Amino acid sequence: MSQSVPVRLGAFDAQDAPSMDGLRACVHCGICLPQCPTYRVLGEEMDSPRGRVYLMRAAAEDRIALTPTMARHLDLCLGCRACETACPSGVPFGQLLEATRGQFERRGVTAPQRDSATLRFLLEVFPHPGRLGPMLHALRMYQWSGMQAVVRGLGLLAPFAKLRAMEALLPPVPAPAAPLPEVVPARGRARGRAGVLLGCAQRFFYPDVNADTVRLLSAAGYEVVVPREQECCGALHLHAGRIDDFRAMARRLMPAFDDVDVVVVNAAGCGSALKEYGHWLPEDAARLFAERVRDVSEVLVDADLPLRPLPQTVTYHDACHLVHGQRVRAEPRSLLRRIPELRLVDLPDGELCCGSAGVYNLLEPEMAGELGRRKAARIGETGARVVAAGNPGCLMQIRQHCRALGLEIEVVHPVTLLARALAETEIAR
Amino acid sequence: MPLPPQVLRELERIVGAAGLVVSREGLLTYECDMHTFYKGAPEAVVLPESAAQVAEIVRLCRRERVPIVPRGSGTGLIGGAMAPEGGVMVSMTRMNRIVEIDFANRCATVEPGLINLWLSQATREGGYFFAPDPSSQMVSSIGGNASTNAGGPHCLKYGITVNHILGLEVVTGAGELVRLGGKTHERPGYDLTGVMVGAEGTLGLITGVIVRLTHLPESVKTILASFSTIEDASETVSAIIRAGIIPAALEMLDEVVIRAIEEGIHAGYPKGAGAVLLIELDGPVAEIEAQAAPIEAICREHLALEIRVARSEAERALLWKGRKEAAGVFGRLTPNWLLQDAVVPRSKLPEIMRELQAIGARHRVVIANVFHAGDGNLHPLICYDDRVPGELERAKHANEDLLHACLRLGGSVTGEHGVGLDKCESMPLQFAKADLNFMARLRRAFDPDSIMNPGKLLPSHPACGEGFRPTARPLPTGTWI
Amino acid sequence: MAVSTPALHDALADLVGPAHVLRDPVARTRYAVDGLVPGVVIRPADAEEVSRVLALCSSERLAVVARGAGTSQDLGNPPRRLDLVLELGRLAAVREYVPEDMVATVETGLTLAGLAAHLAPHRQMLALDPPAGGARSVGGVLATHASGALRFRYGTGRDLLLGARFVQADGTLTWGGAKVVKSVTGYDVPKLLVGSLGTLAVLVEATLRLHPMPPATRSWQVALPSHAAARAFLAALLDSPLQPDRAALLDAAGLRRAGLTPDPVGLLLSIGSVAEAVEQQGRALEALASGHGGRTEGIADAAWSRLGAAVDAPIRLRLACEPRRLLDWVAEAQAAARRLGVETALLAQPGHGVIQMAVWGSQEPRRMGAELVRPLRAAVEAQGGSLILERAPAELKGDCETWGSISPEILTIMKRIKSEFDPNDCLSPGRFVGGL
Repeated sequence: MSQSVPVRLGAFDAQDAPSMDGLRACVHCGICLPQCPTYRVLGEEMDSPRGRVYLMRAAAEDRIALTPTMARHLDLCLGCRACETACPSGVPFGQLLEATRGQFERRGVTAPQRDSATLRFLLEVFPHPGRLGPMLHALRMYQWSGMQAVVRGLGLLAPFAKLRAMEALLPPVPAPAAPLPEVVPARGRARGRAGVLLGCAQRFFYPDVNADTVRLLSAAGYEVVVPREQECCGALHLHAGRIDDFRAMARRLMPAFDDVDVVVVNAAGCGSALKEYGHWLPEDAARLFAERVRDVSEVLVDADLPLRPLPQTVTYHDACHLVHGQRVRAEPRSLLRRIPELRLVDLPDGELCCGSAGVYNLLEPEMAGELGRRKAARIGETGARVVAAGNPGCLMQIRQHCRALGLEIEVVHPVTLLARALAETEIAR
Repeated sequence: MPLPPQVLRELERIVGAAGLVVSREGLLTYECDMHTFYKGAPEAVVLPESAAQVAEIVRLCRRERVPIVPRGSGTGLIGGAMAPEGGVMVSMTRMNRIVEIDFANRCATVEPGLINLWLSQATREGGYFFAPDPSSQMVSSIGGNASTNAGGPHCLKYGITVNHILGLEVVTGAGELVRLGGKTHERPGYDLTGVMVGAEGTLGLITGVIVRLTHLPESVKTILASFSTIEDASETVSAIIRAGIIPAALEMLDEVVIRAIEEGIHAGYPKGAGAVLLIELDGPVAEIEAQAAPIEAICREHLALEIRVARSEAERALLWKGRKEAAGVFGRLTPNWLLQDAVVPRSKLPEIMRELQAIGARHRVVIANVFHAGDGNLHPLICYDDRVPGELERAKHANEDLLHACLRLGGSVTGEHGVGLDKCESMPLQFAKADLNFMARLRRAFDPDSIMNPGKLLPSHPACGEGFRPTARPLPTGTWI
Repeated sequence: MAVSTPALHDALADLVGPAHVLRDPVARTRYAVDGLVPGVVIRPADAEEVSRVLALCSSERLAVVARGAGTSQDLGNPPRRLDLVLELGRLAAVREYVPEDMVATVETGLTLAGLAAHLAPHRQMLALDPPAGGARSVGGVLATHASGALRFRYGTGRDLLLGARFVQADGTLTWGGAKVVKSVTGYDVPKLLVGSLGTLAVLVEATLRLHPMPPATRSWQVALPSHAAARAFLAALLDSPLQPDRAALLDAAGLRRAGLTPDPVGLLLSIGSVAEAVEQQGRALEALASGHGGRTEGIADAAWSRLGAAVDAPIRLRLACEPRRLLDWVAEAQAAARRLGVETALLAQPGHGVIQMAVWGSQEPRRMGAELVRPLRAAVEAQGGSLILERAPAELKGDCETWGSISPEILTIMKRIKSEFDPNDCLSPGRFVGGL
């Protein structure tokens, strides 16, 4: 007896279709609306989670076809998943969004406003260290040589919105760091083997964050492994709806971490994608892999790191894919509070996306700019001198907009502060 | 029938291209509010940013005889913010500022799209809050609250929205931009503010609200009492009121709802109880301490299984989160549901609870209960699955029976959600022809050409709708949740 | 004039019985409204008779004024015409009262004292206490939007009236609102009728929200040495967690007339709650008062019923201002009276910005108008407030008009409402705002 496999779900086809149960879970209560960054900015129903789910459901019920207009509303979505945190019914918005984007991707239905060229460029360069590295080297030359100052000073990029956005966003590219050792021994009481994901943006833009991560893990008692053979976690492709490409990247990545107890991630976007490998890949190995993934704060919070005082006022911004994607909210704050004399102040709207959202700020500079401005304003109001966030994209976006607002503020990853405070000499033998 | 092109051009001139929605996809998302049973997409949605723009829009629509449907956050439960006759939907979401907080006069001036909870958050530091706290307050707008005269758990002590509105800026259906009421608490003339509140957008569009602020109570005590049966819980409610104690809030939930809340929100409600009462006392310390003891005694007298007092602000917030987000967790309970909003006199609460159980059994549907027991306002949730043939029909019959039962016991057709489209045709159950006629004529005094939210609040009769362009959009079938 | 025809009187006698049709000219003068004596006074027994009488009046285009106990008949402009006074004293039944629901439905001719007597055995009350209000009818209090010290905690008739049965100008018996405390079913018609001075309909039955009488009550007079001290103390009181249920502010003259210590400014407060809470709040109140230079003394509960005496004068103004400016306007009012050389006493509602100003003295109306009423009114209206003549001799009303200005747009809407429900201008014609 053959099982009937649905060929279609309304306007969707059956391959990686958004879950009908997920769509039906929405009771249209609207509790997600005030948490949604695009709804906060635009105030329009179709650019809210409720509206987007409604459109997806309408497509699944054959009330509408997959149209460029619908694609536009999905493109504007940051994928921040604040709606999931708010939703009392458990609608899996992130997965519905990615599945639906996959459908649009395969049909070739795109919104006319989409900057396909930039997206293609980003997807082909970012996830490949072999391509990103040289590109950034060129960028570094541009910055170092003074050309950047000239270009900025003369406003030469003014007419080119996307290029200008990209140019404004990218921080000074550091000189290529010395590669991290492949294995770093544990210090203190041994807890196990921790594999570190280097991340694409992180390893080039913030290599010191990776170095600090390794140092802290070792101090926490982990034998730290930094697999050489690791490329991209596939998050950008997943978020863009290139699900098969994402699966291929996931399958290439997982074996690198076969013999570690925990896979430690210090980039929220990556961590979130890794934890969902079990949903998108059918094999057991994926689920088992995902269960071993932890954000660095989740790991360090269980350790008893000796910390010296850092008398500073710090505020903490929740990276979307950490607080909403992974539900990690308390751990980073707990860690920062352990640093003596560090004063942690609340950031109003701390859980509202800064506008980075992967490469969103390069594709949708207007919306991302508005969100970045709002985030910088909230940060400025706290009076803090330091803002910490657990994602490289956030660090870039926040840094750019704080500077635009004239704020004298340091933008760092929480591990940077922890590493600064780490009392090397007191680590238990 | 599409709007005439010159109307669309005019609308675009008034609000700008970024303030106008005409795409099919966009309009689809505006076809219903939280009550997805009633769907009707408008022909255009405008998002004005000022009262002046709203006035222009209304005047245009009046000239062109185009119906107008106002919309706030679209979280109503009565089919209020949908457009059964098409027309222009005016979304107030972009008019969401706090214009002024005047602590000395204990009032605040706000734009209608402002989210209810955001106002209380803004005034909290000054020691004040906006008392009406409907469960939707984290998303519903103050304009929407005013339009439906929203209630909430704390209205038992503090009153409903109309008791907290000092003034309204409105654009009437005739296109006049007027300021009703103000910061002074009385003025000569008819109480037009009082009439406009709860008018559900049928008299005019609210473009500004002056609200009364209430001082935060000195202390709060939240008690959760669980019981084996709903009867025990309802008798307890009656006894508390009989004893002359008016808590700040007195809510009841039954086991079906408790299970869903715990699954979805993990609020710390006791699993396995037949019903729980969430009782909140607020006020001067000595007063609530003196009221808590008799309340606990009454609970014990009525066989309470457990009495728990929230020990911290965090615990209290969690208990309330469970109650306030109950509407949202229904998705976990059942694929579909009909939520009823009815009232009985408090003294009839035990009787109506018994009736509800009988009705559920008679129609073979599960009826879950979450409601404001202190003022007799019930929210029975009738569960069904639209994929199972016949279940919707049974649910609808149960719904009707329950409404009739409430009226028989001396209650009202709606407690706090309003009439909208949902209860329109039930109005004659409570009002005679002369009464409805009075209301229809009152409506005419504000909206002489019947453009404001047609088809809502009052049952249709042949005289209405004259001067309209006819519409041919039936409610789509088979696509509701 | 139809009113004087025997045929009309006979028709009316058929409706209510000849004993309840008052034609005697001398007796009728008692029912004069601002000097206009009605052609006949009718005393119907119940709502149905009211309905029939009004239907008859409508067909004959007779001008009707409704009357409860007659104690605030003088609020309003002189009627443009007056043919018939409808006296509702016989509609005094309690229709429905379920103590557990804390709701009562009463006929509107019932007096507040009568209702209180009915509720007291159940330790419940209607939280409405206008000065000298015991003798007033429920309908009158609602139609004039009267209020007293209990407004501080419980609001006014607007907040307490849940449902109303009324007779329209054409005699149609109509119902609006609900019988339960929570209902949002249709327009809040009762709100439209409260304070409408009988110009839209005649109230015959009111469903009222009740409150439990507190187990214990204590009252105090807080004496303040100056306006500044009073302002500061009042602000602190409103900002504090104290929950008085009654509050009234009087000047020395008012206090003297009420038989209380004539401090420059006196704030009367009562707190009703469980005994422990009353004691604790009382102590907090004393501490707060002394922190602002105030002296606190206990007063008897009976003092509250003497407030009517404080402002019982042939002329009484009612001023409404922003709550925070209450003491400013108290000072203004006193200064204006001093300038004109008239004696005055003030009774105010703290927290609500309402001042009743009683005026004695034999100034002629034109001077009273030019030097007291009109300047004060202009000044308070400039701040968004109002000043009405709650009671005044007809000459003063003629000079100054009862109500003050009203925005033309709002008056337009009110006129539309009035003409919708009283197209023949029969109900209290001309008495209300803008000549409605």
